[in-house]
Amino acid sequence: MFLNYLKLAIKVLGRRKFFTFISLFGISFTLMILMIVTAFLDTQIGKNAPLSNSDELVFSDMIIMKLMVPDTTNIVDSTLMDGVMRYDTTYDVGERQSSYSSSSFGFWMLDQHLRDIGPQENFSLYSSGHSFDLFLNNNKLTLFGIYTDAPYWEIFDFQFIEGKPYSAQSVENQEQVVVMTDKAAEKYFGRSRDIVGESIELGKKEYKIIGLIKPSLTAESFVHSDLYFPYTNIDPRYLEDGKMQGGFNSVFQVENPKQREALIDAIAFFGDNFNMPNPERYNDLTLIGKTFFTSYAYQLVTFYDDPKKSAWIALVILSGLLFLFLLLPTLNLININVSRIMERSSEIGVRKAFGASQGQILTQFIFENIILTFLGGVIGLILAVALQRVINASQLLGDLEMQFNYRVFLYAVLICLVFGIISGFIPARRMSKLHVVNALKQA
Amino acid sequence: MIHVNNVSKVYRTSTVETLALNSINLEVPKGEFLSIMGPSGCGKSTLLNIIGLLDEPSDGVVKIDDQAIADYNSKRMSSFRNERLGFIFQSFHLINDLSVIDNVELPLLYRKVSAKERRRLAEEALLQVGLKNRMRHFPSQLSGGQKQRVAIARAIVGRPDILLADEPTGNLDSVMGNEIMDILLRLNQEEGTTIVMVTHDESMARKTHRLVRLFDGSQVQ
Repeated sequence: MFLNYLKLAIKVLGRRKFFTFISLFGISFTLMILMIVTAFLDTQIGKNAPLSNSDELVFSDMIIMKLMVPDTTNIVDSTLMDGVMRYDTTYDVGERQSSYSSSSFGFWMLDQHLRDIGPQENFSLYSSGHSFDLFLNNNKLTLFGIYTDAPYWEIFDFQFIEGKPYSAQSVENQEQVVVMTDKAAEKYFGRSRDIVGESIELGKKEYKIIGLIKPSLTAESFVHSDLYFPYTNIDPRYLEDGKMQGGFNSVFQVENPKQREALIDAIAFFGDNFNMPNPERYNDLTLIGKTFFTSYAYQLVTFYDDPKKSAWIALVILSGLLFLFLLLPTLNLININVSRIMERSSEIGVRKAFGASQGQILTQFIFENIILTFLGGVIGLILAVALQRVINASQLLGDLEMQFNYRVFLYAVLICLVFGIISGFIPARRMSKLHVVNALKQA
Repeated sequence: MIHVNNVSKVYRTSTVETLALNSINLEVPKGEFLSIMGPSGCGKSTLLNIIGLLDEPSDGVVKIDDQAIADYNSKRMSSFRNERLGFIFQSFHLINDLSVIDNVELPLLYRKVSAKERRRLAEEALLQVGLKNRMRHFPSQLSGGQKQRVAIARAIVGRPDILLADEPTGNLDSVMGNEIMDILLRLNQEEGTTIVMVTHDESMARKTHRLVRLFDGSQVQ
């Protein structure tokens, strides 16, 4: 039966070339944009190396300190009783924020306090990005580096091209070693292979390169860098005891994604119950744990104390934009489809007369529309891959390199299917309800 | 086999009410070839559509094999039409984008029949109407008479026991009309197919077993 539908669908598409062109143009353009957006999102927040286990991670990268002071509010109510004005005063004893400070964590805070608070199976701390200016043949080259501990390499599964990461022992021994991306190697050495064993001078220190990795696809700062050093090489001021704020972030890995909530709660609980060392300066601590998606959404829409709200609002905004973006081409396609199907009322009449049920007519026309959409999808995919190459080559999105993988392809298929069903359903339903006699008369 | 009891059909618009059929009573026994005649607009096609379950009567009952079809839900009615009824229309109503053989196979698409079996049955039906050699052609490549023969093949491919023909020779010249009529007569005689045919043509009607005349929605003979 579907072969028969397919034959017919192809014939119909060939018969009305202009209609087909308009439909395909709209579909392929829409799907191209959707595929590019999907590829972008997959590159940014998909489960790609080094974030293959992103659903097991909780990030805590912000420490908020406040000074809360008592605050009393007087509320005076007035009422006119028996011609006399009476007053009732209420005192509301509360708190008000007197000062506020938010930044990344101090090393001490993470290393001494946060490391063991929850159900995590692994924990890593890493610095924020540091930049290094190098001069090569009178050209300035800026590379970015982050300082990490050894578990960092267990949590983030970077792809090593050569060499290996540094061990806990290397970190402890303050070894001057570095892991470098092949892209940075290309910039510095002019080649991206046989780099391990070479040295590089950075900030008046000479580092031995022990690993060469592929850069992370995502531009997220906790993985995206050129160089990775053992944290013991950082300026010692960052590692001073007693520092709650400054320069470090943390990531927790849990065994099961379901444990993330418990860990986020544990982080918040720890913050709420922490004894502040200088309560006259800051007496309130807020710590926030974020899942990978929340952490991403938090950058788009920031609600300081409520990252979940950020995630929710980001999701609503993204879905809303997607809906609006799809609405116009869908309405257009519905319109075109209605007139296309109207021409075929004789066929609908005959099919119904010979026993096709309403459901079978509906299926046929939706199927035909899905064929059209998939055709548009294939064109859209080719255009999207071409556009993605242009975007990557022009570095329009900075260091972010979009890529198409099987997931993006599956999403593309899904998008085509949904688009095909939605835009085909309304006209097909309308026509499937057509009365046989009227359908035959209209022909 | 077919019992039309007191069937009336009224078309209503906001301003006008038209009585298309007025208390029609008709019995068509199994194997009969009945023709319905009458001037344009007298309700012939409406009656045929009601017998063929393509339209519902405003009043009265149509029974086929003593079963009141109006009680069927739309899905059951579709499958009843598919298995028991075959339709032939004046303007053929072939699907131009499908080849002759694909057009003939159409009713079998809505049955559980394998593609191979569909093809076999469709070829057999085309053989019966003498058009097997044209099975790969498209309707636009055929003459009017050939188109109607394809339409007959489509109507009989599912081996229905009732054929409903709405002016099958109306768009054809007399030679082609006679060819079509011969096929219908042969189907009636050899296969025992019950046929109800609406026609304008007295000479065609005379070839059938019985003639019913309608005038202004009422049966006059």
